[in-house]
Amino acid sequence: MILNYIVAILLWLSVIIYAVFGGADFGAGIWELFTFGPHGRDQRNLITSALGPVWEANNVWLIYLIVGLFVAFPIVSYTLACALFIPLSLALLGVVFRGASFAFHSHIRENIRLRLFWARSFSIASTITPFLLGTVAGAVASDQITLHNGIPPLIVWWPWLNPFSLTIGFMALGICATIAASYLVVNAITVGRDDLAEDFRQRTLAAGTTTAILGIICFALMPFFARVLWDGLFIRTYAIWGVIITIVLGISAAITMYNRRYKTARFLIDMDVTAFFGTWGLAQIPYIIPPQLTVNDASSPPTTLLEFLISAILGMLLLIPSLWLLFYIFHSRSPLPPIHEKEVEGV
Amino acid sequence: MDMNIIATRSQMGMSLIFHIIFSVLGVGLPLLLCLAEGLALWHKDGTWMALSHQWTKAFAILFAIGAVSGSIVEFELTLLWPIWARDAGSIIGLPFALEGFAFFLEGIFLGLYLYGAKRLTPTIHWLCSLPIVLSGTFSAWFVTTANSWMNSPTGFQFINGKLASVDPIAAMLNPSTPFETTHMILACYVSTGFGAAAVYAAGWLHGKHDDYHKKGMLLGMTVGTIAIPLQIISGDFNARFLERAQPAKYAAMEGLIRSGRGKPLYIGGIVDVPANKVIGAFQIPHGESLISHFNFNSYSRGLDAFPASFRPPNAQVIMVHLAFDLMVFSGLFMLLIGFLFCFLYLTRKRAVPTYPWLMWGTVIAGISGFLAVEFGWLVTEEGRQPWIIYGMMRVADAANPAPWMGVSFFVFLAVYLVLGTTLVVLLLTLAHRPKPPTRWSDLIVDERQTFEIQRVGPR
Repeated sequence: MILNYIVAILLWLSVIIYAVFGGADFGAGIWELFTFGPHGRDQRNLITSALGPVWEANNVWLIYLIVGLFVAFPIVSYTLACALFIPLSLALLGVVFRGASFAFHSHIRENIRLRLFWARSFSIASTITPFLLGTVAGAVASDQITLHNGIPPLIVWWPWLNPFSLTIGFMALGICATIAASYLVVNAITVGRDDLAEDFRQRTLAAGTTTAILGIICFALMPFFARVLWDGLFIRTYAIWGVIITIVLGISAAITMYNRRYKTARFLIDMDVTAFFGTWGLAQIPYIIPPQLTVNDASSPPTTLLEFLISAILGMLLLIPSLWLLFYIFHSRSPLPPIHEKEVEGV
Repeated sequence: MDMNIIATRSQMGMSLIFHIIFSVLGVGLPLLLCLAEGLALWHKDGTWMALSHQWTKAFAILFAIGAVSGSIVEFELTLLWPIWARDAGSIIGLPFALEGFAFFLEGIFLGLYLYGAKRLTPTIHWLCSLPIVLSGTFSAWFVTTANSWMNSPTGFQFINGKLASVDPIAAMLNPSTPFETTHMILACYVSTGFGAAAVYAAGWLHGKHDDYHKKGMLLGMTVGTIAIPLQIISGDFNARFLERAQPAKYAAMEGLIRSGRGKPLYIGGIVDVPANKVIGAFQIPHGESLISHFNFNSYSRGLDAFPASFRPPNAQVIMVHLAFDLMVFSGLFMLLIGFLFCFLYLTRKRAVPTYPWLMWGTVIAGISGFLAVEFGWLVTEEGRQPWIIYGMMRVADAANPAPWMGVSFFVFLAVYLVLGTTLVVLLLTLAHRPKPPTRWSDLIVDERQTFEIQRVGPR
């Protein structure tokens, strides 16, 4: 059914958007743990100014994914909630502490120690959450979650704590760190700090290389833990070109970053993450949770999917102009409106 | 009930008790902001502007924490109730997705509103508050339709034990929706209005006698006093609807054990179903029959009209009856204080009345607004027991059967304690910070010259 796949792709897109934008946020939190040396203080300020000013806006993509699975693929929600209750609850705690720490940290002014406590809590939550979400992704990608008579297993450990899923967890950390560092390079250039840009350029390269090495380890573990994925990639080979694109994009990103073409590098890194997730999704078709649940089996009735899709389109029609307005107003170089005599008089 | 289900229900209940406060403020505060800023621009009045600034700061924190507690609830819908999610998701998941969009819109315009003061003309800045008010109200509407559906499920059919003709939009427009959504949205305005007034009344009692506190009180009271009579009328409609749609819940609310003609109205008291008594209740003879059908000897259905496994157990009945009466009492108390305040204001040549007894009354009204929200929510949830989806699925069959629920409950309890305490401390510090200037000319200049976002400058 085509509708099932359209909705699945829509939700997969929110995974990708969350990985890119949410990943940048997580990564910024991770780098806050590594701000030291002569530029430590400036690095911290750069990170603070790079984060969204109001609240954890990028979390909406995660929430949309959770709600979208609940609407369109309720059996997936059911299976994941039963089997992966522990890592999902822990990831939720991470999300909660990140959001709360961020809000508290930016509003507490008087009490320095309390402020530092929440800053530290923010960094730790930023590190733990993507790792846990990575292991959950690993558990889904590996073919370890099996249903018996339609009933999922209750609280399983091995699917998310096996070497493959743990490697994916560390890879998630690597991806977040790489994206964030590449954003911070560009931000540093914008405010005229070449020295900070250089710091984060080296960090982008280091984090990117680490992620690539972890990717190779993943491939090595795949035949043992994720047969479905391995088959999709290398036996039936219909997703192999995704792997090639991901590798080419990764190498180009590294080269451009090395040559200090920062904006191009940042763009390529985002594209690389997109290609990475796209390849994963493609490789596990037709399964939504390998090795049993397929996209078609897990789908809600077509009316629900259609209404969900229409709601998404209408929602986007409202969201996109609003987001555009937000960015237009904050990124336009227009100065503040001048103070008119008229406004001030009258008191 | 086994411990796992108690832990699961407790965790969900705790999350909602916490989150509902932020949801209510998330809908109500934007209206106050919008009105205060509108009045400021209209009268060129610095005090109104200062109030709107102060509320904006508080709202920014509350919104961020509300986003966090909302994420918890969204996760918990599936984490704690996976079986419910599996069966209900395709029917009633849609409003949660729609709420996601409304919430994101609210966040975007809040961002504009908070950080756009430097870049927008005052009128445009004020206009940015309107989408916040609208999307907040829509959020409340969407989420409440989902709760209404659990009370009166429609939009699907069971054919041979399988779901068929699923229609999420029909599910959202179930029979309870008009009653519940109106009651919930009005509740937001009532509690935020009286709550804001209570903050300034408390300030007044602490000796802060200035125009700023008077105006804060006046606006909160006005919003609350307009909303509370409407809310009481809407509550009456709800109760009459419930008698038809969920008669067991209605009987529990009224503490009515035996069916019959000319039943008394029980006010307060502990319902003891096995003993057929409402211990310590104040009784009005024939009151129940009169109030529900305008007839002294009309017939009312009691709890005995339903088999024990189809109605709330005794412990729940006790809670539902008390919570219902306390909610009604809180509502009437707010009505009294609101009317007194407005009467005195209008008869005293529009001077804000500040008698200490009225200030104390306002503080209590502010607290009872939020208590009424919690009680009302208790009535609707506990009164539906043992069902999670009325007449369709039992709570005991919907919970996550996984072990570790008890641990999860205590972990989240700790989380809420930490978040709640920090938030209260933070709001109190905010209240004690020096107030923004209240002279119009200072305000305009201050607004656009000193508001600098922290950034890294060139070396």
